[in-house]
Amino acid sequence: MIGNTLLLLALAASVFTVIMYYLTYKGYSNTKSLARIGYHSTAILIIAASALLIHAILTHQYQYEYVYEYSGSGLSTGLLISTFWGGQQGSFMLWIFFTSIVGLILLDYTAKRGDLEERTMMVFSLVIAFLLILVSPLLKSPFNYIWSEPLFLSVKNINSAFLSMPFMQNHLFRDPNNNQSFVRMSSDLYATLASAGISLRDFIIQGKGLNPLLQNFWMQIHPPFLFLGFALSAVPYSFAIAALIKNDYRDWIKQSFPWLLTGTMILGLAIMLGGYWAYGVLGWGGYWGWDPVENSSFIPWLIGVAAIHTFLIQKKSQSKGESGRFLKTNLILSIFMFVLVLYSTFLTRSGILGDSSVHSFVAPGMLVYLFLIILMVTFLMIGVIGIIYRWKFLERESEYKESLLSRELALFTGSIALIAASLIIIVGTSAPIFGRAVEVRFYNDMTLPIAIIIGLLNGFSLLLKWKSNEGISLLKNSIPSLIVTVILTAVIIILGGVNNIMLGILTLSSIFALVVNVEIAFKIIKGKKLFLGAYIAHTGIALFLLGVVATAGFTQERQLDLEKGKTIHSMGYDLTFLGYKPIEDGKKFAFNVQIKKGNDVSVVSPVMFFSDFNGSLMREPDIYTTLTKDFYITPLSYSDGSEQRSDKEKKISLKKGETTQYKGKSITFDKFDFPKTAISAMMDGGDFEIGAIISVAYNGRNFTVEPKLKNENGKRFYVPVTLKDVNLKINLLDLNAEGVIELILSPLNEENNIPQVTMASLSVEASVKPFISFVWIGVLIMVLGFIISVIRRTKESVK
Amino acid sequence: MKNKYIIGGVIIVIFFGLMGYLFTQTNISYENNFSQVMNTSKTIKATGSMVKSQNYQYDKKNRILKFWLKDDEGVVMKVVYKGSIPNNFESASTLVVTGKYVNGYFHASDILTKCPSKYQEQYKESSNS
Repeated sequence: MIGNTLLLLALAASVFTVIMYYLTYKGYSNTKSLARIGYHSTAILIIAASALLIHAILTHQYQYEYVYEYSGSGLSTGLLISTFWGGQQGSFMLWIFFTSIVGLILLDYTAKRGDLEERTMMVFSLVIAFLLILVSPLLKSPFNYIWSEPLFLSVKNINSAFLSMPFMQNHLFRDPNNNQSFVRMSSDLYATLASAGISLRDFIIQGKGLNPLLQNFWMQIHPPFLFLGFALSAVPYSFAIAALIKNDYRDWIKQSFPWLLTGTMILGLAIMLGGYWAYGVLGWGGYWGWDPVENSSFIPWLIGVAAIHTFLIQKKSQSKGESGRFLKTNLILSIFMFVLVLYSTFLTRSGILGDSSVHSFVAPGMLVYLFLIILMVTFLMIGVIGIIYRWKFLERESEYKESLLSRELALFTGSIALIAASLIIIVGTSAPIFGRAVEVRFYNDMTLPIAIIIGLLNGFSLLLKWKSNEGISLLKNSIPSLIVTVILTAVIIILGGVNNIMLGILTLSSIFALVVNVEIAFKIIKGKKLFLGAYIAHTGIALFLLGVVATAGFTQERQLDLEKGKTIHSMGYDLTFLGYKPIEDGKKFAFNVQIKKGNDVSVVSPVMFFSDFNGSLMREPDIYTTLTKDFYITPLSYSDGSEQRSDKEKKISLKKGETTQYKGKSITFDKFDFPKTAISAMMDGGDFEIGAIISVAYNGRNFTVEPKLKNENGKRFYVPVTLKDVNLKINLLDLNAEGVIELILSPLNEENNIPQVTMASLSVEASVKPFISFVWIGVLIMVLGFIISVIRRTKESVK
Repeated sequence: MKNKYIIGGVIIVIFFGLMGYLFTQTNISYENNFSQVMNTSKTIKATGSMVKSQNYQYDKKNRILKFWLKDDEGVVMKVVYKGSIPNNFESASTLVVTGKYVNGYFHASDILTKCPSKYQEQYKESSNS
């Protein structure tokens, strides 16, 4: 109960903080220090709760439902830590954890800047309070006990020593559909166990484990960045509301700017990491599939980028004592960036996308669904009402003159293009709410022209001066870059064979952006280095767009059957399947394929394995990466050349004493071999083994064999037996407490009986993706540009 | 100043017009009643469960996957998909297939598999009531 208590105390502390900051804003003089104590307590309580959760995960405390559902023993420490955010509750916790840390820095930042603290921190603490309601015991707390609601636990996760105890009979269930047994965990059972002196930690010995798709490095890094980005998006929101509260818009832009940049940078990086994960590990083939989940974090990012550009105009156009231009736009964008983060949370967590996304979603229940809506609407209404309330004043503040040829207008147009892109994605992603879905074509067709406009503006706006330009001098200035652009584009189009008009234009516009930005970056590299940020970031975007053109337009794809040892020529490469070898203690299989081009030889090893977690074959791609292209291989299936074998196998469940016939043999399950030492070993989690004694009768001869379940060093495995004399292999699949075993019977040796005709062969999907590295490099360069800009704007924010 | 609003307005109208048009062209509706699916020639996302008694067939050479889906009312529909067997296919409880029903079977262009983790949810719900 400590965890939930900590979280409820944190909620109380955050509400207290909001009230104290409100009183401070209203003019009370002695409430500010109380508010600070309140915030610090909130943060400390949240950090303590997070520490408690990570401790529970690391020490496998399966009495917490969350730990049982998403974690498991036998995971490496890194992966174990990542189960913290493997499920809904924990990922909300991670979001709150980051928000509380961001708040600590924000508190320090605002305390140094006049009367900013009380207004900003009031709003920010309100955000934290709402998020804390989300993890309260009634909604999505990670600290709820496993018996708080009845839950069916698979018997294989239960210490089998206890299953045979008489009181268990009322709590055991069997699903007739798939013959699996479950223990129904409930408060009844908990009370029974407690009265028998059995602790839950001895009773439940294993968790459900982490989905194998999530068991990799990217799971450890992508979600933390994403939720840090989410947490940071609340900061520009708080600044905007704080400005509306005071009705003073002169300083908020420079104060909010570094935060907006940081949030957008982190969110952008997180989206890219997710894209790389999908590409490199999950085997989606590409980095972007317009999946609702990807889209939903992309939307607030686009709004953030749009806001950066209009922020810049407001800041530049501020003269003494004035607010500057695009004030309303900036307020609205700051508010919407955060509200769209909440909308994204609603879409992905409410279960609404259940049938339309490859991500698996679990509907969280009506209460959570409602609260997610309340969360979103509350912060939207705070923003909307604030703006309506101040509308007349804002109208007056934003009178201005403008010239058509000004950097301001180009930047504004750029923002509009970004907002338009986000609108398209919002419409497409929200379609499932109305029971519909859109084809990928919808996104591609709509965003392509926008990408072209963005590329052109990316270059063009930098050639324009602030305020106004003369047409002739502009033309003169741009001639060198235009010539370079046209030549480069022509070269690419001819060499690359670009035959799609739209892609050709996008190439032109991206090259133009690239040329202009690189040129300017070189001009100022010797001067003020901190001014480089924007140009570096724009160079990154231009490279990214070129990478998109190359991969979208020129990816080649083939499905190939690779016979072992035989070389196949495809897409300019010689491919040879060399065979497979077990990896990770035989849990997975790596299929080695040699790739040869000219004198370059290398081996890639896509992986396939059978996962107990979802009872399914998992496939992991592998990539041969060069600077100019990726050779990407996804395994599809493997056949060892004796496909008949599967027909000859027999899968069977046997009760104690039951006999089955298989190829003239009678096979009887006599009894379990359950050594007494096994019971105590199970309870301590030590090594043990349980056998199933089976007798086989064939041609008047009798044999007794004993396949075993073994537990060594915390790992469980089954030991099969073979009977050479009767050409039989017995694989034990499962044994359970009700005295049922599951077996696979197969002939020992096909080769002896049937001459092998077919060769072992591997089916793969192979593709060549040119210049996909530009996509990743482009984003990383953009992040670098962001970092420089953050430093510059942070320095400016104190002036 | 007036020109600005006119130009802006025109751009917005064109943008929304295009988006609306493309949306009507590319949107697909969900349907879990197979009788309806069989009666329309539109592209549809059909949701159903695998018929366990009738095994799926996979023609490796031509990469054609054939299987049978069943809706809530028990109406069975044959589905044909060109491509490799999707991840989780063997263990999927519910499938969402995108395509059209023509000439006696459903031509799927995309298969979305829903994992049996949903089973657990059902247990949970049924035990609550």
